[in-house]
Formats: sequence, structure tokens, C-alpha cells
Amino acid sequence: MQLTLEFGGGLELLCESVKIHKVNVDPPNGTEKFIMKDLLSWVRTNLIKERPEMFMKEDSVRPGVLVLVNDCDWELSGQLDTTLEDKDVVVFISTLHGG
Amino acid sequence: MEEAVTKPTKKGGGRLCCICNQRRAALKRPKTLEQICRECFYEVFEEEIHQVIVDNQLFKPGERIAIGASGGKDSTVLACVLAELNRRHNYGLDLFLLSVDEGITGYRDDSLETVKRNEVQYGLPLKIVSYKDLYGWTMDEIVKMIGLKNNCTFCGVFRRQALDRGASLLKVDKVATGHNADDIAETVLLNILRGDIARLSRCTSIVTGEDGPIPRCKPFKYTYEKEIMFTYAYFKRLDYFSTECIYSPNAYRGFAREFIKDLERIRPRAILDIIKSGEDFRISTSTKMPEQGTCERCGYISSQKWCKACVLLEGLNRGLPKMGIGRSSRGLNNDPKKDKDIKQSNGTKSIENKQCGSLDF
Amino acid sequence: MACNSSTCQSNSGCYKREEEPISSKSSDSNQQSLCVKCKFNEPVSGTSDDGRFCRECFRSNLYGKFKLAVTSNAMITPSDNLLVAFSGGSSSRVVLQFVHEMQQRAQKNFDASKDRSLPVFGVGVTFIDESAYHSVPSSEIDKAIEDIKSIVSNLAPPAKQLHVVPIESVFSLDSLYGKERLKTLEDSVSDATGKEDLLLHLRMLALQKVASENGYNRLVLGLCTSRIACHVITATVKGQGYSLPADIQYVDARWEIPVVLPLRDCLAPELNILCHLDGLKTVEFSNGPCSGINGLVSSFVKLLQEENPSRECTIVRTAGKLTPFHFNRIPELNDSNVPLATRRRQKRFNLKPSESISSESFCPLCFSPLSKSDLLSLSSCQNYDILDAACCSSCRFQIFPKDPSSMEHFLSVLPQPLLARAKNCSNGNHSSLRKQIQDCLLSESEDET
Repeated sequence: MQLTLEFGGGLELLCESVKIHKVNVDPPNGTEKFIMKDLLSWVRTNLIKERPEMFMKEDSVRPGVLVLVNDCDWELSGQLDTTLEDKDVVVFISTLHGG
Repeated sequence: MEEAVTKPTKKGGGRLCCICNQRRAALKRPKTLEQICRECFYEVFEEEIHQVIVDNQLFKPGERIAIGASGGKDSTVLACVLAELNRRHNYGLDLFLLSVDEGITGYRDDSLETVKRNEVQYGLPLKIVSYKDLYGWTMDEIVKMIGLKNNCTFCGVFRRQALDRGASLLKVDKVATGHNADDIAETVLLNILRGDIARLSRCTSIVTGEDGPIPRCKPFKYTYEKEIMFTYAYFKRLDYFSTECIYSPNAYRGFAREFIKDLERIRPRAILDIIKSGEDFRISTSTKMPEQGTCERCGYISSQKWCKACVLLEGLNRGLPKMGIGRSSRGLNNDPKKDKDIKQSNGTKSIENKQCGSLDF
Repeated sequence: MACNSSTCQSNSGCYKREEEPISSKSSDSNQQSLCVKCKFNEPVSGTSDDGRFCRECFRSNLYGKFKLAVTSNAMITPSDNLLVAFSGGSSSRVVLQFVHEMQQRAQKNFDASKDRSLPVFGVGVTFIDESAYHSVPSSEIDKAIEDIKSIVSNLAPPAKQLHVVPIESVFSLDSLYGKERLKTLEDSVSDATGKEDLLLHLRMLALQKVASENGYNRLVLGLCTSRIACHVITATVKGQGYSLPADIQYVDARWEIPVVLPLRDCLAPELNILCHLDGLKTVEFSNGPCSGINGLVSSFVKLLQEENPSRECTIVRTAGKLTPFHFNRIPELNDSNVPLATRRRQKRFNLKPSESISSESFCPLCFSPLSKSDLLSLSSCQNYDILDAACCSSCRFQIFPKDPSSMEHFLSVLPQPLLARAKNCSNGNHSSLRKQIQDCLLSESEDET
């Protein structure tokens, strides 16, 4: 399925200064659903080119990074357990970089 | 509630805004844990700031107010909200945007573009004061001379004064800055960690520098950074400017900042609780404030014969850039945020500094 | 600072690596290989950050800090009867040792003096058994209690009585029923940090109870700089900025039995080293690490301390500049039995009343003095349950049930002394509380005009 990922607030610097990524991902072997947790590890492996610790802490995003799924706070949709669907837009914005 | 578990639902699709009960909730407010929709959020966001302004009598009708504008999210949202509230509630204020151009190629010139767009968007006159005009040096030139050590000292001292100079050029009564609740909580902690009792007693005041040339106020004192960010992400869709200052690489967060974010995750109200603690601290009056005089050279407020900026400038002009750098400079800069850049001996650096340049107004 | 992240995995560029060769070099040089104090003996490794001491000097330096705290705050007088709270950890082990040594010296002086006018202060030890709260296996706790018994009995003479008391004794019921009630109370608190803090309050209640029932007049705690530094930060984070200074002084006499902290100026690593050097036995429990806010703060402070070894001292020093309360001193003695020298010393070092805050209202749960803003918020919810209204905002948030309907149940499982405190607020002192609120409101409106 296709997802649109946006990085802002300085996070784009970790992926070669590209803010918007249109990507194709598939659920991990043996599962039906693709959830945020899968997306984060996918992003870490495939998009983040430097300083992954600025993006992730343990298996979630670093505290201070906002996540919006289709313009909605991911805290409302179950954070790591949020199920993603085709054409979803996921935005990551860091608040750690001053402003 | 640390134990609270959010039940996974499909993108929150089933949840309605707890205020209007009509639209889909889009945000969980850190302050109240309410789930609210975009429209209601923006309304309560603005009205809370209005309430802070009214309760603390931040502005009087007819005043001229400069908004310290860095091009970052806080000051951009502040400009937008103040312009709107001024109209809606008839504050009767003359608002201006005030920016400082440190002269850092590839960094400040970009963020100044953002500020120039704000000028047009909100119809607020913009004044840019540059280090080059005020001091004869750009940060690029200073760094070329002194290297990457202590450059934040220069930048911090110069910026504070530049903002005051710009404010007096605009003849404003007050400068409003975009410091948010997260910033203030962080400052409270940093002042405890470094033992700065004088700043600890001042750093939670919503208005500072009333004895100085131009008072400053923080309308976002109780506003969560997360909400500012949401406002920005939803309503502006601007490329808000957030690159790291090229002269303070790797400095853009300290332990304290990360700690605050960790805290917010398990207990969002901790940020306001830290501010409450800061307000409730009782500090015996015996802590002496340095006596304020004026700099013999430039007339700026100073507790010494020369103000810090003049000492640093003299060093630069005489080719002795180490002049004025060291421990003797305490008490000169009244803004707690500033001091983070100005120190310090070896081991303490990493908790002191945060990205210079963008947040420091 | 190339890297300061806890998640950093790179080996290059970490400041720790950079420092290693320097320290090993300096220990080679001749100058460094002698104790910085006596310049005679060889230092023991890692003894102190402000210098490298030999074993003797390290020990006397640490004892010196203890003694200075005791004498300059008039913590112990010859007629006192001290109860040392012993948890089994190195801080309380050291405080027990030092109190014991001080008592031995006093005994020696007593035996040597002709008129025997100065009595020797008494010392007892208590261990609060919290296994019912932590669900520690009984075999482990039994073994620990055996160890503690042998530690205390090996200290004699003078002999010290040991009181082993289960935490559930605060309910003043039979043990089985007490355990049940403790569990119910624990379960009714949903916040992880709130659970931990509730245990702290119960522990103090238990300690006070032991002291009071057995005729002690001082409670000695082994709190050291490192623990106090953590408390400064956690209290700040919980919004307890007003009451914080009450908790971190050498003396805290708001309790029925005044509490003293003679190790306030000693760092945890120093105390660990002393236990190691002197072979002082400690007793460890598998209680698991703190969670929630307290756990986050202690790892934060640990990180800061690693980065700068004087950080904890700075934190405590900063908080020490906050204005303490009137009860942060040993109440002055006018008893003519007390030697004049003792009274004089007290007067000289004790806090001047003018430099302290007097506070008459306390949170019934954590016994923190209530701030003006706490009092003001009381006035807005006078119809609400009185205990809820009269407690501090931190307890209200993290310990009290969110749902008002479960409040009655919560109150019914609280230990009697806490309820009594609350009732005291609501009945006897209610009018004075109301008056204080009125005064606050008045002065508030005066400020505005």
C-alpha cells in the first residue's frame, strides 16, 4: 500500500532534507495489518540516514516528536497500534529543535 | 494519569470532539487531556491566550508592542494569534514584528524570509536589526575570527541588546516573545541544576525587565509547545523554519529538554506543575541584584562600566576576542534563556545549551 | 560534546572515552599518589571527587560532615533518645554506624567524668518491613531481618533495641487484616507515582508511631545529598515548589517526633565506599526500580551526576537557598536541666525565625505545608469532600481517586492517623482554616487594587 510521509521541524535533515516521501510498504510476513509500529521500524531502516536517535527512542518516536495520521493526533488512534491504510498521510514533526 | 491506556480505535474515527460533540476529535490536549476537534481547539487555544493576557494585564490600550520574530513556530504563531486577538477583542495595540539578523549565511537569511511572509500575511510592519549595522560585525565574520568556541557567547549578548535597540527604534512599550510553557519549565530546571538562585526567582515571571529599558512579556507562558505545533501544522502549513544554527552543531537539545519531553509523555501536567513550583518558590530577599547603571560607551543598561556587548566588541575590534569571556560576566544578562549560551566550564556544556539563534528571542 | 545522548551507541567521540587516558596518567604521577589531606598515606581509589583521600582521611572527612551537621543543628543532646531508621541500605547503615560511634564517645566521656553530670543519649533502631506492599517473598524478608538483627546486636555496647515493624501496623489492627487493608488502599491509587509516594507517607507514619510508642524523641534518617537532590527535582516536577524547602533541611520538626538528617551533606557513592572499606554490612532487597516520575527523575539526576560530579551538590545547594519553614529547627529548650553550653550553641546556629515561613495548614496525606494557592483552591470547592479539599494539589492529583464516588471507599481504608489529621482540619481547625482562606482572598484583592 502507498503512504505519504512528511517530516518537519528539522526531522527532514535526518532523511537527506527531503520533507515528503511517497512510499510503498507491505504488512510484515504473516500479518494482515500494517501498524504504526511497523512503519516506524520501516522508516528507521529505509529513510533515516543519520542520527536515528533523534527520531526514535526505544521502539517509539522520541518524546517531543508529534505524529499526525491523516491530520489526527496519533494519541487518539492508539499510537504504535494505529492501523494504517492505503493512501494514509503520516506527519512527523519534531518540537525539539527550537523555534 | 500515567496508567491511562488509549484503546486502539480506527484513527480515532469513532471519537467526537468533547466540546462540540459533532466533529471528529483531532487532538488530545496535554493540559486537560480532552479530545477535541480542530475547530474547537483553535477557539479554546486563542481564548486561553486572551485570558492570560487579560488576567495578567499584559497590554494596555494604545500601546505599541513588538513581537520578537525569529521565523520559528513560536513567534510565527504568536504573531498570528496576537494580530487576531487584537482585532477580535479590540486591544487597541499597534503591533510590529521585530527580527534580528545575526548575519549567518544560509541560516538566518532563510528564516528572515519566513518573517517577511508573516509581515504580508498579518499586515504587521517588520523591523530587522542586523549585527552588521549595530556592531559592524556579522556572526559569519565573528566566527571567522574566533572560531567555533564561545561564538554563542557573542551571539547571545549581541542578540539581547539588538532586540532592545530594535525595540527602541520602533518606540515600542513592550516586547512580546514566544517562550512557551515547555521553555519556561526547562529554564526552571536549568536554573536549579546550575544553582542560579537569582534567575530562578525571576524566570517564571510573565513580565520581565520592567526596570530595564523595555519590558518583555510571554503570552505563551502557559501554552504547551505541542499545541503551538498543532496550530502551526494545521493552520499555517508553512515551512516553518527549523534548521539547526550552523554554528552550534549538535547543540540543539540538552538533557533538560529531553527530560521535559519524557515527563510530558508520562504526565502531561508536569510541565505546568514545574512552572507552578517555580512561581511558588520562596527565595529570601537577601540575594543581591547587581546595581543597574548605564554603559559609559553606548548608554545601554549595565552593571559595569561598559556593557557586555561593548567589552566583547572592543575585544573583536582590537583583535583580542577572548576579552570579556569568562566567569566575571554574571548578572549582566537578565534573560534566563540567554545564559544557556554564555557558559561554561567543560563538563557542564551539554545541559546548558540548546539551539542558539532560533529560540532565543 | 560530540554526544550526550543516552541512546548513543557510537564508541568514538564520547567524552567518557576521552577522559580515560587522562585519569590513568594522573594516577601515575608521584604527586597524585599521596592522600591530599595527610600527604602521607596512599589514597584509596575513587574515594572522593574533590580529592583523593587515604582511608583514614576519607573516613574522618565523612564523619566530620556528619558531626558538623549534628552539632551545628543541635540534633542530639545528652538527654535525647534517638531512633535510627534503618532500611538496610548503605546510607542508613552509615548513619547507624556514626550515631553508634558518637554514642560510644559520649559513653567514654561519661565514664571518665567525675560528677557524671552529662547523661549519654540513647539509641534505638527500627526497620520497617514493607514486604506486604512490595510482595517480597517471606523467605527473603526473614533472612533480611536476621541480618539486621545481627548487625544491630554486633554494635553493642551500649545496647540498642531493635524494633522490627511491619508497614501495615499503621492501621493499628491485627496483621492479617492490616495487610488486606494495605492492599486495598494500594489498589485504590491508580497512578504509579502516587502509589510510591503513598508508601513514603505510610512509612513516615510507621516510623513516627514506633518512635512515639517507645519513648524516642528524635528520628534519625540516612537521607544523603544524592537522595535529597532527587527529591528536589521530583517535588518541583510535582508542583510542590512551596513545600519543598520543608523536606530538605537538617531538621524537620513538623512531626510529633522531630526528624533529623545528619547525612544531608554526604554523597551516595561516598557512603557506599565507606561501607565497602569498613566492611559495614548492608541488606539488599529486590524491590525493583522506581517507576513513573520518581524513576524518570532518578535516572535524569544520575545522568547529570555522571556528566558533572558536583551536580547533586549544586541542586541541593540551590534548593537550600529557598526559605525554610519555622519548624525546620529543633524547638528551643528552656529546660534548666539542659546545660547552658548546649542551649547557647542552639541559639547560635539555629535558624532565625524571621528567615522562615510559618505555616499552619498541612496536607493531611503527605503533611506538606499548604501554600496560599492551595488554600485558595480550597475556597472554590467547599462543598466537596473535606479531606479532598484540604489536601495539596499533588496528592489530589496522584493519590486521590479521580471519581468522587469512590472517595468514600478510599477514605474508609486510610489509616486512622491520616483521617484524624483530616478531621482535625475539618472540625477543630476548620474555622481557622476558613479564616486563613479569607485572609488570602483579602490580601489577593488588595494586591489587585
